[in-house]
Amino acid sequence: MIKLKTENLTKSFLGLVAVNKISFSMEEGEILGIIGPNGAGKTTFINLISGIIMPTEGLIEYKGMDITYIPAHERARRGIARTYQLIHPLENLTLIENVMVGSIFAKGHSLKEARNKAEALCHELGLTGLDRDTSRLTILEVKKMEIARALANEPEVLFLDEVMAGLNADEMKDLIAIVQRVALERHLAVGVIEHVMGVIRELTHRVIVLEAGELIAEGKYEEVSNNPRVIEAYLGRGGV
Amino acid sequence: MNRNASRILAALFGVLAVTLPFFAGDYPLQVARNIMMYMALAITWDMLLRSGQISFGIAGLFGIGAYSAILSVIRAGMPAWFSILFAAIFSGVVAFVIGFLILRLRAMYFSIVTLALGEIFRIIIHNLHDFTGGPEGVVIQKGVIFGGNANSLYWLVLAGLAVALAASFWFEKSKIHFALTAIRNNEISAQSSGIDIFRWLLLAFVVTSAIQGLLGGIFVQSYGFATPDAVFSADFTLLPLAMALLGGVYSTTGPIFGAILLGLASEWLKLKIPYGHLVVYGIIIVIVILFMPQGLRQLVRRTSHSADGRSA
Ligand SMILES: Nc1ncnc2c1ncn2[C@@H]1O[C@H](COP(=O)(O)OP(=O)(O)OP(=O)(O)O)[C@@H](O)[C@H]1O
Ligand SMILES: [Mg+2]
Repeated sequence: MIKLKTENLTKSFLGLVAVNKISFSMEEGEILGIIGPNGAGKTTFINLISGIIMPTEGLIEYKGMDITYIPAHERARRGIARTYQLIHPLENLTLIENVMVGSIFAKGHSLKEARNKAEALCHELGLTGLDRDTSRLTILEVKKMEIARALANEPEVLFLDEVMAGLNADEMKDLIAIVQRVALERHLAVGVIEHVMGVIRELTHRVIVLEAGELIAEGKYEEVSNNPRVIEAYLGRGGV
Repeated sequence: MNRNASRILAALFGVLAVTLPFFAGDYPLQVARNIMMYMALAITWDMLLRSGQISFGIAGLFGIGAYSAILSVIRAGMPAWFSILFAAIFSGVVAFVIGFLILRLRAMYFSIVTLALGEIFRIIIHNLHDFTGGPEGVVIQKGVIFGGNANSLYWLVLAGLAVALAASFWFEKSKIHFALTAIRNNEISAQSSGIDIFRWLLLAFVVTSAIQGLLGGIFVQSYGFATPDAVFSADFTLLPLAMALLGGVYSTTGPIFGAILLGLASEWLKLKIPYGHLVVYGIIIVIVILFMPQGLRQLVRRTSHSADGRSA
């Protein structure tokens, strides 16, 4: 079943076309890789879908409904969640309080309910020491917390913008397993932006490739990584 | 300070505050009344600050409350106690309307506009001579609240402070705390957690403005007169702000300590150096902000961290 789709989605910033007529769709239960060189428009694309910025042109449909111009907080409530490339832990809130926020506002749970749910979620992701200040977390813990914060919305579609950045190989493995598990258990559609190709190969069922705002290739990782246009896009900019 | 100790301390302060008129003379009572008034304003300023919005509009809403209270008594014959409630409602409604216009602004732009609005209110009152009494202001001729009894007036101000305290605790212990903290940290990620930013800012702005109006109403009722220069005085903006910064922001306790310390210090300085006390006062604020950007609360927290387990 198609959860999310875009048609000719376009965003230009004062003449710079960051996302150019992208049409794509995501199925329930699918983990989709979104790759492309720096500045290709991956984050902008996710920003459009999550409603952080509004498109210049095009259509976004979620579960059959047109959501192109509805505000970001409303999309979060309907089930679209995401993490940020530049992470922003909430200072002055503890680890568990950070995770409670989505539960409180996207789902409307009471503080008590939200705390219980956040505890369960942290447990599921292997987070402990829940009353710690966020400044005391390791990088891996911060990344897990960011994922937990997004999952607290109880989303149906989840986007992860470079969550693996800054992690070592073992930590990546840990996180890959977690993403696979939560996606499977929740029948999530997950969009993964990642520069580390090993992660894309391991984690995703299908990949789309962006370059200069355009969707230039789509398919399984193996197909896409042998596509001459894709190789050129990466090599043309000095590789990955 | 562990949790029990601070509870006991708070209870002692509460009892002291309520019983003060029974053993304190006129002068200490007057000082305490002043401090409580500024403390309440400092708390409301901090409540909005928790969302990241720095308001310079306290005096503006305080003044609106003051004038709506006194004019409703003089022009409409409203009972004194009701005029104080009316002041809160009126200031809240004003904040609701202007909130729609200005809560889209951020940072410096929001601050400057709140400052300008206060000035606009003052000028309007200044110029509506027939209705407001213009620059000379208005005086309540008869029906002064509590017959001007100093003890009752003290308790009235204390009640105003209690309202500010209750609202602040409500903000701290409810969803509002999470909404405002998330908005202050990062508005974009707050939205992604389902937070309707404008709605929560409007709530915080209306509630804090209504309390500022209430305090303005209490202020004019306890003095029995209002002039634009007295009730829109920049002191009502600057002193609460300095107190909250001194004590430590984003909490209820910070503004409380800040108000007590700065309030007492300024009284003492006024006696010691009648002409230079504002300079010394300014210097104290600058030094504290330079060396303790999180206020005195930071100091208390640092020393109590091990006992308390987690910083509150
Ligand atoms: N708010 C903005 N205003 C102007 N230009 C922008 C804005 N956001 C993004 N851009 C531009 O749009 C283009 C795409 O940026 P985007 O961040 O989407 O790329 P990306 O694929 O996520 O890159 P990276 O892999 O480095 O994260 C870039 O040229 C960027 O400078
Ligand atoms: Mg990016």
